[in-house]
Amino acid sequence: MQGDIVAAAKLIGAGLAMIGALGGGIGIGLSAHGAVQGIARNPDAAGTVQTNMILGIAFAEAVAIYCLVVALLILFVF
Amino acid sequence: MEGLGINLGYLLVQIFNFGIMFVVLKEWAYKPILKMLEDRRETINKGLEDARVAAEARANAEKEAEKIIAEAQAKASEIVREATARAEQAAKDVRAAAEAEAAKARETALAEVEAERNRILADIRGQVASLAIAAAQKLVGEALDEKRQHSLLQEFFAGVQDGRVVVLGEDELKGSEAEVVSALPLTDEEKEMVEKDLLAKTGAETVSFRVDPAILGGLVIRVGDQVIDGSVAGQLNELRQALR
Amino acid sequence: MNERKWRWGFNRWLVLLFIVLGFFAAKKYPPISPHVQLPAERLSHDPLFTLPGIGEFYLTNTLVALFLVDLILLAMAFAIRRQTSKGGLGMLKGVSGALEALFEGLYNMTESTAGKWAKEIFPYFATIMLIVLISNWMELIPGVDSIGFLEKVAEHGYAAQGPFLIKEEVAHGAEGFVVIPWVRVVSTDLNFTFALALISVVMTQVIGIRAQGMAYFTKFWNTSTLFSKPIFGAIDFGVGLLELISEFSKILSFAFRLFGNIFAGSVMLFVLGALVPVFVQSMVLLLEAFVGIIQALVFGMLTMTFMAQATQGHGGHDEAHA
Repeated sequence: MQGDIVAAAKLIGAGLAMIGALGGGIGIGLSAHGAVQGIARNPDAAGTVQTNMILGIAFAEAVAIYCLVVALLILFVF
Repeated sequence: MEGLGINLGYLLVQIFNFGIMFVVLKEWAYKPILKMLEDRRETINKGLEDARVAAEARANAEKEAEKIIAEAQAKASEIVREATARAEQAAKDVRAAAEAEAAKARETALAEVEAERNRILADIRGQVASLAIAAAQKLVGEALDEKRQHSLLQEFFAGVQDGRVVVLGEDELKGSEAEVVSALPLTDEEKEMVEKDLLAKTGAETVSFRVDPAILGGLVIRVGDQVIDGSVAGQLNELRQALR
Repeated sequence: MNERKWRWGFNRWLVLLFIVLGFFAAKKYPPISPHVQLPAERLSHDPLFTLPGIGEFYLTNTLVALFLVDLILLAMAFAIRRQTSKGGLGMLKGVSGALEALFEGLYNMTESTAGKWAKEIFPYFATIMLIVLISNWMELIPGVDSIGFLEKVAEHGYAAQGPFLIKEEVAHGAEGFVVIPWVRVVSTDLNFTFALALISVVMTQVIGIRAQGMAYFTKFWNTSTLFSKPIFGAIDFGVGLLELISEFSKILSFAFRLFGNIFAGSVMLFVLGALVPVFVQSMVLLLEAFVGIIQALVFGMLTMTFMAQATQGHGGHDEAHA
């Protein structure tokens, strides 16, 4: 019975850890928002803006990835 | 670490594998393709450079051609202008010659007409004198001396008396050209007399004669810019002025 | 302009037929919920060899995938080599032509970012990108992650019937079976992503040192303004230490970004496949293809950008810009 409680706590903890992905999602949305506006105002710079947007998204996504890693660690490692 | 599956052995395998792939791809794929891209870029640049040079040469040739054409046009217009000027000059010359001819012809005609009139006037002079004497005899009622009458008439028409010009005083006139106007043509004797007198009294060198019936009688003598009015018309005019 | 007549063609009937067939197949053999495991599964029961100090070495299913990736890459490289060995400026044909266009685009990107160091940086960029791209796209191949040995496990197993698993829960504690796939996408192995991340970060330092010499280390140990301007100097020093930490966090970030995206993708693929066995997975496959190329591009481009930054040195140093 004790083991079951630990397993349940692990699942809940992993789920809570993934709440951090919220920040990554907001960050990606904001960077895409800015990039699309920039491209709309200056379509000639679309290539550069896209490259920088992808880099920015990658950085913003890193936060969400850390959350995923924590969730995976909780689920499978501990 | 074990839970995540990270294992030094597998990690090393992956790193070595990456190294092998890196070297192989670099040697077999990147080097030839990058070299090809470089060559292609160079070829394109060379082509662009060649095209630029060719375009420059063509532009130069075009400029040259334009210059030549402009020169040719300038020369052509010069020739045309010259030809026009010459033609105009020729036309002007022809017209001037024609005008001169016409003027000469008119002058000749005028001179002929003048001579003709003078001749006719000279012809009628005698008749006029006879008529005047006859009229005077009728008026006066007695016959004057024929000879005296003639001298009076001579004086009336020619303004000369005893070989001298009546109206001419002493040293009044200075000039190089003298013109004598009479109502009827003078006879040669009279002309000679007047001329001699004029030459003696004035400084005139040449004397010309003209006929103008409007002065009625006597002589009008113009020497230089001075005029002596010895005409009957002038005297009548003076009289009219005085009586008024 | 070119108005094509809309009609019920042959292909759409084929698609419909396959959907219906899939429906009946799922009825006959209901898909099982797969077993999710973080480390790569071992395919050999006995270790291939034992290295002293490191441990036993097994053949894992991600290593099989790695060999497949290597084979594909070698085939590409060989095709390019065979075509370019003749020389000349002509266009390459087939796969090599596509790769040439890809390399040209990547090289122009590198050149615009890194300038004269592009020739040094480009091979890392392109190699990382190609390896990651091919291994990511391997998860789109049917059979990867789903065909393999049946293995007896003590818990969460399913009953086996011949060569197939059928959806029949075994009693808890009893012996069941799970599938150990022969091929598992190599990007879902943390060893692979950590190896790439380590190479990327270490080679960034190497290129930085080659570009700037010992001046490169002032980025991490910045004492140049520590005594002339005490307050800002201290801040600069702290920033340098933070840079040092960020180099290590780059390794983690690189490794877990790729791993997380692809692992989550493949888990989503087979969980969705188990929940709705018909058709839905096809649409997720499209998303996964996109994620795969984006992750490859991000991994390569971040490596390239960090390397380019390492060659350019710190903003305050004028000689570094020369």
